[in-house]
Amino acid sequence: MKLAPLSALSRPGSQHQLPEPSPFRVPAAAPSAAEDTFEFLTVTWQADGFGFDATSGEFFTASPTALVVMQALSLGMTRLQILDRLTTRFEVRRSTAERDLESFLAELAHLGLTRESN
Amino acid sequence: MNASPVIAVTGLHRGENPQPGSAVIRSLRRVYPELRIIGLVYDSLESGLFSDEDAPDAAFTMSYPGAGVEAFWQRLDDIREVERFDVLIPCLDAEMAPLVDAPEKLRERGIRACLPTGASFKCRDKSKLAGLCERTHCRTPQTVAVTDVSALHQAAASLGGNVFVKGRFYEARHAVTPAAREAAYWHMMEQWGAPVLVQENVQGEEYNVIGLGDGSGRMLGSCSIRKMLRTASGKGFGGMVVRDPQLDAIAQSLIAELRWNGPFELEFVKEEGPKGEYCLIEINPRFPAWCDFPSTLNCNLPAAALELALGWQPREPLRHACPGKFFIRHAIDMTGDIRDLAALTTSGQFFRQPREVIPHPATSRNF
Repeated sequence: MKLAPLSALSRPGSQHQLPEPSPFRVPAAAPSAAEDTFEFLTVTWQADGFGFDATSGEFFTASPTALVVMQALSLGMTRLQILDRLTTRFEVRRSTAERDLESFLAELAHLGLTRESN
Repeated sequence: MNASPVIAVTGLHRGENPQPGSAVIRSLRRVYPELRIIGLVYDSLESGLFSDEDAPDAAFTMSYPGAGVEAFWQRLDDIREVERFDVLIPCLDAEMAPLVDAPEKLRERGIRACLPTGASFKCRDKSKLAGLCERTHCRTPQTVAVTDVSALHQAAASLGGNVFVKGRFYEARHAVTPAAREAAYWHMMEQWGAPVLVQENVQGEEYNVIGLGDGSGRMLGSCSIRKMLRTASGKGFGGMVVRDPQLDAIAQSLIAELRWNGPFELEFVKEEGPKGEYCLIEINPRFPAWCDFPSTLNCNLPAAALELALGWQPREPLRHACPGKFFIRHAIDMTGDIRDLAALTTSGQFFRQPREVIPHPATSRNF
């Protein structure tokens, strides 16, 4: 599996005005079972890449690689461990993965979705 | 009091700027399907009159607020000669002041209502929010009340120019240029009277909290949402339930400080950025138009307000709505009949009749 762009974390749940059509589509499939979800800070992520923050009411979508990173962060992994996981699971050069990881962590911080220690 | 209480509800128009009355009726009927409910309306075309699901059993036209307080009470008396209602649930801001200012007039007529005291009602006025927020350590945008154009421009300049111009009861317009500010000022003055409020523009996501205060400082129940969709005039057209302990704590502290009795809606903007604070924009002294949504999630605040007004024991504790549930407003067309319109227009009263069923031709077609 190739590495999808980590920056594919998007935030479709922001307020917008009518009559613009709603830009999001909730998957038609039934919600994933509890074991297919994980908590990352205040956001509950489903295996299909849909995340919901119950405290802010915002929801997000994430690429498969972004999910891997956030799940690793939720388990308390270090950056090196996360890089190992990415290069094991995806066909990607370590230098590329490292650059993308840094950029993704910065994006998470910008969205308020990461601890400063991360 | 009637053996089975009769309830009067106002604010039945669900147009572009929906009023709460129909949602209140719908919530009451979820718990008390046989309840007799009458609508007090200001226009014979208030859409809630013609709904199949949440229309009142009867409706009466009211005198406009501009006719004065005496005309208001006189009209209530006239209506009660025909339909002796026991409980009044006012759903429009402009009706609140005469009711809150004269609770004895309700008492002497035997009308029950779930209303705040005059003092707490005044404390939540848009022009008094700063003081309330200072006492409760809640952030609120700087707001200046103005009564002339010169003061309007001065206030706007002191707030950075990018402001909201707001009516005393309803409406807000974003205004950046002097011309836009002036147009908004005259519009608000004409619609709602003085003063007009000039408010700092705080940018961020909008959150609303609906609830019911018991008058001693406690909240009997509440539901918080983030607005997901807004109309061009900024009205919420969809909302997602949230559960944020910080927002709950702010709401609790405001209601405790006000010792609020009855329904309320708190409107907040959460400033952008990870460390953005909740900023109180205003407190509405009544149910909002989305009050039936929490009722679908076992948080029926209108039914609880009715029980509070009647001094009944609550049926059960109100539950917290589950985060992730959301509402989307859906506008539909309803069928009315000219006879209903005629009755309300000519006699000022209308009694709901069983609907005429017009069979669809396709129902007799076999495939």
